[in-house]
Amino acid sequence: MSTDNDKANDTGSAPLHGLLAEYDNPTALVRAAEKVRDAQYEHWDTYTPFPIHGMDPAMGIKPTVLPWIVFWAGLTGCVVGVGFQYWTSVIDYPWVISGKPFWSIAANVPIAFETTVLFSALTTLGAMLALNGLPHPSHPLDLKRRFAKVTDDRFFLLIEARDKKFDATDTRALLESTHPAVLDDVAEDRVTSDKLPTVILGALAVLTTLAILPFALAYKARVSKSDQPRIHLVPNMDNQPHIKAQQESPIFADLRGMRGDVPGTVAQGNLQEDDHLYRGKLEGGAWARTFPKEIAPSEQNMKRGEREFGIFCAPCHGLSGHGDGMIHERAAALGQGTWVQPTNLHQDYLRQQPVGELYNSITHGVRNMPGYGHQVSVEDRWNIILYMRALQRSTAAAPTDVPESERGALK
Amino acid sequence: MANTDKAGKSPKQQPAQGSTSAAGVTLPNGDNVSSEGLADNVFKIAGAVGVVALLASLGLGVSAGDDLAQFSFSYLVAYAFVLALGLGCLFWVTLQHLVNAHWSVVVRRLGELFAANMPLLALLSLPILIPIVMGNHALYVWTDHAKVEASHLLHGKAGYLNVGFFLGRMVFYFVFWSALSRFWLKRSVAQDLKPEAGVTRRWQGIAAPSMILVALTLTFSAIDLLMSLDAAWFSTMFGVYFFSGAFMSANCLLALAAMWLQGRGRLVKSVSVHHLHDLGKMTFGFVVFWAYIAFSQFMLIWYANIPEETAWYKVRFEGDWKYVAIFLLVGHFIVPFLGMMSKHVKRRRGALTAWTLWLLIMQYVDLYYLVQPTRLARVLEEAPAGEAVNATLPFHLLDLTCLLALVALFIAGAAFNARKKNLVPVNDPRLEKSLAFTNL
Repeated sequence: MSTDNDKANDTGSAPLHGLLAEYDNPTALVRAAEKVRDAQYEHWDTYTPFPIHGMDPAMGIKPTVLPWIVFWAGLTGCVVGVGFQYWTSVIDYPWVISGKPFWSIAANVPIAFETTVLFSALTTLGAMLALNGLPHPSHPLDLKRRFAKVTDDRFFLLIEARDKKFDATDTRALLESTHPAVLDDVAEDRVTSDKLPTVILGALAVLTTLAILPFALAYKARVSKSDQPRIHLVPNMDNQPHIKAQQESPIFADLRGMRGDVPGTVAQGNLQEDDHLYRGKLEGGAWARTFPKEIAPSEQNMKRGEREFGIFCAPCHGLSGHGDGMIHERAAALGQGTWVQPTNLHQDYLRQQPVGELYNSITHGVRNMPGYGHQVSVEDRWNIILYMRALQRSTAAAPTDVPESERGALK
Repeated sequence: MANTDKAGKSPKQQPAQGSTSAAGVTLPNGDNVSSEGLADNVFKIAGAVGVVALLASLGLGVSAGDDLAQFSFSYLVAYAFVLALGLGCLFWVTLQHLVNAHWSVVVRRLGELFAANMPLLALLSLPILIPIVMGNHALYVWTDHAKVEASHLLHGKAGYLNVGFFLGRMVFYFVFWSALSRFWLKRSVAQDLKPEAGVTRRWQGIAAPSMILVALTLTFSAIDLLMSLDAAWFSTMFGVYFFSGAFMSANCLLALAAMWLQGRGRLVKSVSVHHLHDLGKMTFGFVVFWAYIAFSQFMLIWYANIPEETAWYKVRFEGDWKYVAIFLLVGHFIVPFLGMMSKHVKRRRGALTAWTLWLLIMQYVDLYYLVQPTRLARVLEEAPAGEAVNATLPFHLLDLTCLLALVALFIAGAAFNARKKNLVPVNDPRLEKSLAFTNL
């Protein structure tokens, strides 16, 4: 029961913090814990170098509430992950990506999974610290030299003096009966403060401020302009050593990087002899008024045309072709004055226009509209015209256009 | 390691020493771990049911007059189900040896008994293999020489997907699986009679390379038997997908088998709630793993949207199949994920029985969903454009009889393996630790 080298004693009259029993094997500690548990103490704890199976029931510790906290945190993370993606991709900034619907639950799953794990993990750590009353910058046991062995090969049990059942003689007798290797008084610590050091608080405040910085910069960039060239975070991907369109190349005598076809040759599959199919023209150069024989007006082609129209045309011309697509609405909302509304496809001159000319417009573009020949296959361009004709018909149809059997529904 | 082996030589840990037969041993804790009076009955009953159901299936299949199409597909689903159980147990046993697990010793013999069904499973693969040899093309299009010649893609894959190489691979798989599973059982039973020093360490050394071969053969057998049904389609995740279900169902099977035996007065004290809790945790973990793998496979294909990959999912969202897809998501992941999360569920026998049974059903549904839509895909391929195709679920009596036959024969096989043996490796040096195993 020697208390040599214990700093707390140097200050003399420090009040008693508790009684510390030391054991040299885990079994003795578990037996002692059972005795203390049965004596119905409340403020006491055991300290071991490693987790000991069966210590929880030996100490009478109730199952922790932590799993429930983590469960709800995980659920919150899942809901936040899905909800945030819904807000960004459906409400705040709807944008077609890879032709997928705005709201594609499959694309949300990985992120919802990550936020679920993130919320659960951080909550586990935070709630564990909070439930254990940590951090604990100072503890009277820190001043006990012998107690350092708790990280090595000794097992300790401490009954605190603030416990209602604590009694200097009785508690000592109880602990004596568990045959500890050493039984010792622990004095309150009057030397070190139990407050978090100002340095740590200050560092936390600085880190928190720094953590806000990237968000503040991103927010500033949203609302301000800059003349500086953009920052290349990955320069070797941004500036690759190949010739881009319209760039010079020292390899060729005329310095033109872009090279045309070799004169007198045609690439395989690019012969495109059929003027009607490939250029929308009849013999003699007039615009064709009929569809080429390869494009039959079938249900399948119509569906295909609808699909392609939805992908390539609808963003500007709108799903109904009134020139009110998503891009137009966005540009109109910005109100910059330089925007010209896309053409309404339901105008008379477009109804009369030969299909060959429409094909030419899609292929090479017209006025502000760029050409789509390099993106949409020949057949699909015709299918789009097929669908567009159906759209035009839909806004200028006569009752006689409706099949006899369905006409009754019109009245 | 050295400690455990030394401990194995000490007399107090050798309860079987001095007994003439390995069976009929009583553990020091007074637990009955003998298969006597149980294995024979189970073998007779399950064997009779299995043989009758198998004959009925064969009769129904041949008399259907559809060139064995219905029989082949129904049988393949049921066969994949029991093969997954067997392979899952083989993987499970090899894993316990590989990591030198202590907790699992009391249930390891059950895993060994089920895994040792591999020769039986080789025999039961004949209803799939014999028609292929006889020139029946009901299951695999790539066995049809005319179709392979007509299709550039199949022709390109013919180097791997041809009947000769396929049969060669099957023989290799089953020889390896049979050898490994019989080895584990044989050595383990031999230890019951005569403990041998250092054997734990040696098994660990054998388990390591075996594990690699188990993983490879399991992957390729899944590719050969199931993925090649749609020979144009490929997924590098398919092997892991099959494995996730196989390992999950093996854990379900072991938990159910242990609890069933406890109801018959065996292993009552040996297998505690702590061991069941661990089997439940493994099951739960692999429910999540299955969902992870299934979704990973789906999402990559969905996102990339490449026709030759999406075709496989397209047909599986056709007609009634999309309800099966949703049912799998809900029944194979969401509901068991929430339902099995609590430790109280895994420690309560009734709840654990219900969940493991449910997951075995879902494993069958999963395999049904992998295999059966292939037939719809073939109909769609042949059908003229625009013609309506019947996409209802192709339930058939054969699905039931095949499943009954194979599950009954699988159980009968395990009971046959268990005759005259202990249900616990009584002389394993790790047994004492396993008996004392606790688990929060």
